[in-house]
Amino acid sequence: MKIWRADVRQRLVNITDTPQDWERLGGRGLLARILLDEVPPTCEPLGSRNKLILAPGLLVGHMLSSLDRISVGGKSPLTGGIKEANAGGTTGLHMTNLGMKALVIEGAPAEPGWWVLHLSREGGSFEPAKEFAGLGVYEAAKRLLERYGEKVAIAMIGPAGEARFSAAGIQNLDKEGVPSRIAARGGLGAVMGSKGLKAIVFDDAGGEKPPIADMAAFREAQKAFTKALLAHPQTTIYHDYSTAGMTRMCNGFGGLPTRNFSAGQFEKAEELSGETMRQLLLSRGGESDPSHACMPGCAIQCSNIFGGEDGKAIVSPLEYETIGLLGSNLEIGDLDSIARLNYQVNDLGLDTIETGAALGVAAEAGLLKFGDKEGAMHLLDEIRQATPLGRVLGHGAAMVGKVFGVERVPVVKNQAMSAYEPRAIKGTGVTYATSPQGADHTSGLTIRAKVDHLDPKGQAELSVKAQINMAGYDTLGACIFAGFGFAAAPETIRDLLNARYGWEVETDILQELGKATLSLEREFNRRAGFTRADDRIPEWMTREPLPPHNTVFDVPEEDLDKVFDW
Amino acid sequence: MVVLVKLHTILQRSSPEGMVREISLELAEPSLLKEILRILEIPLKGDALILAVNGRVVDENCVLADGDVVSLMPALSGG
Repeated sequence: MKIWRADVRQRLVNITDTPQDWERLGGRGLLARILLDEVPPTCEPLGSRNKLILAPGLLVGHMLSSLDRISVGGKSPLTGGIKEANAGGTTGLHMTNLGMKALVIEGAPAEPGWWVLHLSREGGSFEPAKEFAGLGVYEAAKRLLERYGEKVAIAMIGPAGEARFSAAGIQNLDKEGVPSRIAARGGLGAVMGSKGLKAIVFDDAGGEKPPIADMAAFREAQKAFTKALLAHPQTTIYHDYSTAGMTRMCNGFGGLPTRNFSAGQFEKAEELSGETMRQLLLSRGGESDPSHACMPGCAIQCSNIFGGEDGKAIVSPLEYETIGLLGSNLEIGDLDSIARLNYQVNDLGLDTIETGAALGVAAEAGLLKFGDKEGAMHLLDEIRQATPLGRVLGHGAAMVGKVFGVERVPVVKNQAMSAYEPRAIKGTGVTYATSPQGADHTSGLTIRAKVDHLDPKGQAELSVKAQINMAGYDTLGACIFAGFGFAAAPETIRDLLNARYGWEVETDILQELGKATLSLEREFNRRAGFTRADDRIPEWMTREPLPPHNTVFDVPEEDLDKVFDW
Repeated sequence: MVVLVKLHTILQRSSPEGMVREISLELAEPSLLKEILRILEIPLKGDALILAVNGRVVDENCVLADGDVVSLMPALSGG
């Protein structure tokens, strides 16, 4: 596996050997290593010294179920710190078929203009992208597939990334070629825009799977892992109910963000539930499907295709986080409206979490009525037109709060929280506060733990365990849901890695990788100027009680500061 | 006494009218939550099942009161 380097100033692609220090890392861990080695942590995120890096995880490339994730990274223009944004889809698989350990995009273009970076077995080339510039991702993807063939993988930005909005992400294609698997958080779409790239096309024709050191051992470990995954009850739940199965659960705990994080229960939560969604999609038929795989070979199929009454797809997927931030957070209580908003946000190439949070703050500021779905759609139009208001919204929740004088802004390290209220699910609040990624929806969720989520004691311990495991999965290239297969059969991680690479790692390798990744990330942030003051939940959440339990975030600061003392 | 039981995802029950996700149960007083698991023949246990009463995590030995809302939630990591 090699390191591919794309210089956007000279428009040249070089392929080099992997440095020894990088060999035992992949995905999120490899991103952290490369960023520490090559990017000055105090650099301008949209400048020439930042790098945009794509790295598949260590086990990507063999169609292990739920194990082909792509990690995208760089210095975040939203948080000012290290950023890894993770996605499913087909990018990871194509990269490994081309023998790419990582793709490092560096420099800055000398003049304005948009390019497609085309990568294949022949190497890499930059091709003019004028005809794709300014297009929403759905139209752009359609035309890119016409130009480059139906079988390619694509990582691309929408108008939001082109305009360098801090809420812009990078879309990847699912296995049907739909450009809706987004590496969403932290504004990496803006970084890609600053490098003048509209799209990266990966054509793996003639490529091959990465070599496996011990095929027999690999197959055996694969069997054990797949068996554990299929037998796990969560697999069925996600398969049938998608991540939307979380709506009634989180609402039940009083943790569903409602009306700009002013309450933790939404009167229309039942209408937004996974249970309702499943019934709706089954009864509508047509292109609707309550189960869908975003990566080929995934047995869980937690994704879905949300279609309308006319049988036509509206958006795929419709996820819990979007239901929270673009739904209950805005007092919008029907799935159809949320699906339509989701489609527009996708098309713009924006993060639904950040955008939903921004709209929530905008509603608090009086720019939008809670419950007004047409009004929300109109604000998305403002973003598309890049009006002054649209520009403010495109830079996320904290920017809206600053410009319009709102204190109730749900962010940590400037990044919006996801659909778990930290005052009701305090362990997740600890993760939001302390994760090097900022408030993040996958870096250490705790809602599944059988603890009293309202008790501030013990939440830090819960959070750090989850953060270590998630960082480990992100380094392997595993969807966090592959985690249940691994939790039931932990030795399979060790066995898969040893069989794939000829290593001799131990059973605690997941935690080793997780701790290494977190340590590298925290060091980058330290050098970027972060201090313990940045590892805090916003002050207003330590003061303002959240109904219905009427709790504040009260995990002691000493606990937050000790999270990474292992 | 009467409690309201909320059934999540795969614990919903089929009925001629469709999937049922809420059931009112009449129970003797006092009753433990495990009684509900027995009556409804809930197939999940241990880590795979999260129990809550009035929005707070409890275990199956929780003593119930009239008007309690009991949530039976197959464990989900996140979303």
